[in-house]
Amino acid sequence: MTPKNNIVIGIIIALVVIASYNVDANPLEFVEGLPNLAIVVEEMLLVEPKYIPTALWAMFETIQMAFIGTVVGTVIALPLSMFAARNLNSKFVYAPVRALLAAIRTFPSILWAILFVIMVGLGTFAGVLAVVMYTIGFIAKLQYEAIETIDSDPMDAVSSIGVSKWQLIRYVVIPESASHLLGQILYMFDYNVRQTSILGLVGAGGIGFYIINYIKFFEYGKAAIFMLVVLVTVLFIDWVSVKIRDKYIVKSQHGMEVTVKKI
Amino acid sequence: MKQIQMTKNLSFSLISTNKIIQMNDVWTSYDSKNFALEGINLSIDRGTNYAIVGQSGSGKSTLLKLMNGMMIPSKGTIKIDYVTPDMNNKKFKKMMHTIGYIPQSLGLVKNISVLENIMIGALPRLTTIQSLFKRFPEHEIQEAKRIVSLVGLSGKEDRKAYMLSGGEKRRVAIARALMQKPTILLADEIVSELDHVTAREIMNLIADAQKRMNLTAIMVHHDMQLALEYANRVAVIKEGHKILEIGVEGDTIVDFQTGDLNTEEIMEMYSDDS
Repeated sequence: MTPKNNIVIGIIIALVVIASYNVDANPLEFVEGLPNLAIVVEEMLLVEPKYIPTALWAMFETIQMAFIGTVVGTVIALPLSMFAARNLNSKFVYAPVRALLAAIRTFPSILWAILFVIMVGLGTFAGVLAVVMYTIGFIAKLQYEAIETIDSDPMDAVSSIGVSKWQLIRYVVIPESASHLLGQILYMFDYNVRQTSILGLVGAGGIGFYIINYIKFFEYGKAAIFMLVVLVTVLFIDWVSVKIRDKYIVKSQHGMEVTVKKI
Repeated sequence: MKQIQMTKNLSFSLISTNKIIQMNDVWTSYDSKNFALEGINLSIDRGTNYAIVGQSGSGKSTLLKLMNGMMIPSKGTIKIDYVTPDMNNKKFKKMMHTIGYIPQSLGLVKNISVLENIMIGALPRLTTIQSLFKRFPEHEIQEAKRIVSLVGLSGKEDRKAYMLSGGEKRRVAIARALMQKPTILLADEIVSELDHVTAREIMNLIADAQKRMNLTAIMVHHDMQLALEYANRVAVIKEGHKILEIGVEGDTIVDFQTGDLNTEEIMEMYSDDS
């Protein structure tokens, strides 16, 4: 440990203390509040199993919202990512598209949800629209970055044949970036299920609507059922996406032996 | 090994107006001070099997990139079939359709099938709709299948390119170039990483296609032995200069250009390079 490092660590600790004072973050209050947590946990343990069907249905609705949002968002994001890639377009094309995508990403999905609740009213549709916007912003960014990192050798070799830009996209850009895309969509769906679970907080439908209402009325036992369902679902989706990744993505990227289907 | 007889005989150079590639005092630079090529003069007849030999960094790959318009010279003139190679030149852009170029990396699209990789060579002949939806016309599919069997890849059409061996990948790259119905074939060190037997197989394949289709093949090698075995003409490039150009006719080697070194010395330098 050099003296220089000590100074840096000292400064960071000082900043944390000053910031904590500024935002009124007092560790003592946390300790004093622990008994309250015990009360919540105790009430949560009074689960009411008869709400399980409602919770499952609400979760199913949430998954469907996330699914529509992910699919529609991806479909819109893909062409945008083609226009945002620097290795396919001139500055006059990619710069404005990138600015638009950055603007879309600036808002977290919950702010989009508030905006759409104002536009189309309370309910699941507002939630779906919020998920669509969020998905567009992120998938397009991840995808144009994937396009920019694809191997330049096939791009150069195929360009040298004098093919059109659309042909180059169809035969080189899409196949070479597709393996990234599947991983990104899986991640996005996983993320969207979690996001959609809380969109209900602002009245945009889904399971979060139940959770926030039960918490508001101090019915922690009922809220716990719904939260448990979210937890199990998210773990399950995570497990499935790991399986899909292993099967399709890891193999195609590392060139492992894969059985070939004869068409 | 060929019995090399040195005869300085300039009259061997056939006087022909059928020059498909002409380079006149060509210089290229990556920056303003360092030149990759310095004052290259080349003149290649239609239907020649031409080899360019040189060590790494000698500028031989740059020469190929100049011929297909991927690079433009900083000085001097180049004519490919009397057209200046430049990707922004409409006339040349059309010519690119029939210039097969196989880079050292091969440039295959690894996540699509062998057949689709080969079809890329036919893309300039397809309409936008046909190519976007992969609705290939029947005669193009037949042509692709004919080439698949020509390069010895029958039965592997549906394999993804990343699953192939090094030799098979080279066959796909050759097939893609042949699918272009090329008049010129440019290949950059296509056999340099292969074992001796596979290298000969690939070279025979190209030599065969070159004769049958009356192609002008321009191949870059670092192995002089291989170049002498297959080419009609061999140019040796060293540090951006053409130091030797020889013609090969049966067992006779004819010197066309006398540089600072004498031909025997240069031949010795490169013949044990493999």
